[in-house]
Amino acid sequence: MPDAAPLESFAAGVETAVDVAQVERQLTELWQMAAESESGAVTRASLFNLVAYTESEESRDRATAIISELTSRHPCRAIVLCARPDAARAGLIASITAHCHLAGGGGKQVCCEQISIAAAGAGVSQLPGAVLPLLEADLPTVLWWRGNFLTRAELFRRLVTVADRVIFDTSKWTTVPVAELADLVLGQRRCRFADLSWTRLAFWQRLTADFFDPPACRQELARLESVEIVHGNGPGARWRALLYGSWLGCRLDWSIDTMARRMQLHARPDREAGLLTICLKSAGGEFVIQKEPGQQTACNRVRLPHVCELPRRRALWPTDDVSLLSQELDHPGRHTVYERALALANQCCSAGKFSLECAARV
Amino acid sequence: MLETNPLRAGIVARSSPDPCAVVIFGATGDLTGRKLLPALYNLAHEGQLPGGFAIVGFGRRAKSHDEFRAELRRDVEQHARFLPMNPAVWDGLAQGLYYQQGDYTNAADFTALGKLLAQIDRERGTDGNRLFYMATPPGQFPQIVQQLGTAGLANSAAQRVIVEKPFGRSLDTARELNRTITGVFDERQVLRIDHYLGKETVQNILVLRFANEIFEHLWNEKYVDHVQITVAETLGVEGRGGYYDQAGALRDMVQNHMMQLLALIAMEPPTSLEAEVIRDEKVKLLRAVRPIPADHVAQYTVRGQYAAGSLAGKSVAGYRQEKDVAPDSRTDTFVALKLYIDNWRWSGVPFFLRHGKRLPKRVAEIAVQFKAPPAVLFGADLAAPLQTNVLVIRIQPDEGISIRMNAKVPGTILNIQPVKMDFRYGGSFGARSPDAYERLLYDALCGDSTLFIRGDEAERSWVIMDGVLQGWQTAPAPFPYEAGTWGPAEADAFIERDGRQWRRP
Repeated sequence: MPDAAPLESFAAGVETAVDVAQVERQLTELWQMAAESESGAVTRASLFNLVAYTESEESRDRATAIISELTSRHPCRAIVLCARPDAARAGLIASITAHCHLAGGGGKQVCCEQISIAAAGAGVSQLPGAVLPLLEADLPTVLWWRGNFLTRAELFRRLVTVADRVIFDTSKWTTVPVAELADLVLGQRRCRFADLSWTRLAFWQRLTADFFDPPACRQELARLESVEIVHGNGPGARWRALLYGSWLGCRLDWSIDTMARRMQLHARPDREAGLLTICLKSAGGEFVIQKEPGQQTACNRVRLPHVCELPRRRALWPTDDVSLLSQELDHPGRHTVYERALALANQCCSAGKFSLECAARV
Repeated sequence: MLETNPLRAGIVARSSPDPCAVVIFGATGDLTGRKLLPALYNLAHEGQLPGGFAIVGFGRRAKSHDEFRAELRRDVEQHARFLPMNPAVWDGLAQGLYYQQGDYTNAADFTALGKLLAQIDRERGTDGNRLFYMATPPGQFPQIVQQLGTAGLANSAAQRVIVEKPFGRSLDTARELNRTITGVFDERQVLRIDHYLGKETVQNILVLRFANEIFEHLWNEKYVDHVQITVAETLGVEGRGGYYDQAGALRDMVQNHMMQLLALIAMEPPTSLEAEVIRDEKVKLLRAVRPIPADHVAQYTVRGQYAAGSLAGKSVAGYRQEKDVAPDSRTDTFVALKLYIDNWRWSGVPFFLRHGKRLPKRVAEIAVQFKAPPAVLFGADLAAPLQTNVLVIRIQPDEGISIRMNAKVPGTILNIQPVKMDFRYGGSFGARSPDAYERLLYDALCGDSTLFIRGDEAERSWVIMDGVLQGWQTAPAPFPYEAGTWGPAEADAFIERDGRQWRRP
């Protein structure tokens, strides 16, 4: 009769240290125990492999907490890497645990496993080799890079070879080297990239698009004269404002000169906020989206003859890490519009038309 | 002039519907408070309602707009999917909430409704775009529809009507209702709602069948032994005794929900996902279902009525002891049917439909039972016969799909046991599906009728049921069954006559 204690700790989310080479065997044994145990009403579910890359224990713990919440909607095999390349002693240590939650209705526990691998010093270079055999076959692999992968180019290059998607968040980068980012993203044909900065813009893009569904309003798109984007000083707010502007520009086939002439990015002193107001003025009217101060809502208004001018208030979409990742995992396709917007943002920055510094337009 | 909105590219969410006024008849009823308003609030919360959106409640009781808003706010606070309620979103919705007192028999009240709607058109830009929702007892549908026609509120394609089931009590009454409705509204303006079609798993039937190459080749008389569709309820009539005693299980569930499930599971692949194309295929399937002649009901049907019993450890009353039910009622609370589909694909394959109240558990599922493999290889060596493969689509609760297959038990002897491969929506995608009414209301606002029932679908379904109802008029009373069991013993004998057994869901 197998000892139930390791199973209980494993399913309760307690880490069990294992040899990297033995991870898969240990997992098989634990799940087998779950199937044999009298109280083993456990379903193991997995839709994809999620490889999370972190560089500190704090970041690893945060990633683990996010994955734990995420797996209730997106069951996966999670492999959380914690790399400390600057450590003096080389090492590679693995542990396994499970994230379980009750599925609706039947009261069965749905569990997903997490494999954590800590690598230090020269051991970091062995991470890709450790990850590859641990990936579940026939499932797509998502590489979630917490941090700036451009600063770990070699390791990233090796890990990205196993990934179908890369999810990252430029809003949390200290600086965004647009040219380098565009080179890398646009140069990758096999792997799909998702920047959570772009995901945060989905709400604003949706509201903007909604303005122009009625044919009377759609005509105004060709007559847009100015676009004013007001943003706060929150992390990545300026970059998102430029990405939003580039999205609009590329959807309307604007050249970078047209962008520079018609588009203005303004910062407002608000340490937390991202986008605050978008104001599109055309020859015939005005279209405004405004985040309401102190509220979790935004209001959009149209001023155009013969068009309903009632303001429309909507709840902001959540922008916590779990919600953003969840949105991305729900829609795994290639973000071709993002790629075009990134290319245009890069051209604008390279030509010196816009700056990522908050001193407004150059 | 831009033909399409270039900003829509890459945006996953569907576009918002045009500004619209939803008029709810039966605005103070249970359906409005528990389902319709919470669903509309959820849509507002998700930003899926247009700015110029209005809801007009039409009811007999006198109340002000503000009283109506306060009542609905309480309903939303209790039943919405997004709780706690966001006050700003509610305020936005409440600004467009109005109440019109009126009587369905009084033409002047509909004229007043027309004036209010014209005012809303001016104030909120709804531009004549209206959705009339019949959340009333079915007997009032014809009167309301006639009044709308007389008041000139049904004379453009932008004015649509949503009709709740039941769509008639028989083929004749269904035809009469359709004639009344289509005498005022064009068929394209009519949306017959069946909330089963708004459920994710029901929509997934088409995806399962036509997006997975492995199933469709097996989906025919060559490989399928029979199909069982079960919709079991633990509830009794729950205060609806008056209505239910006139309707019964066949009218209440089988004619609408279960025939829709049958159509989706058995229809031919549509050539596109357009509403009319899918509905054409469903009608084609229903046309192929062999009607049950009145004098054959004993051969093809079993009906039952629950007697007192116990459910989940509690004693429950029998049907005839329920409030507003006649003490000598002959109404069916349990139905089992055997149907055949006379087409190339399903020739000779029986479809067993089973529905009942006060059954041991609440479950809705479709089980496709495959034929047994040839016994030449394993048959002689096994202690028990091989179990056949079953594909089960669970609609509620625990939405998902499972497949039963045979596997060798590890060991030195040949021991084969059935194993179940189980996919659960809750386990794989979490449980964030929108409520069925949310999906259906949104589709109605967008003018998408794919998930609504067309008039000829409803009628065709009655053609199949009419013979049964006629046959039952002269047949013996329904067989009694103890509440908390799987129906009368006669239902077991009914399927066993065919050499088959009911599944235990």
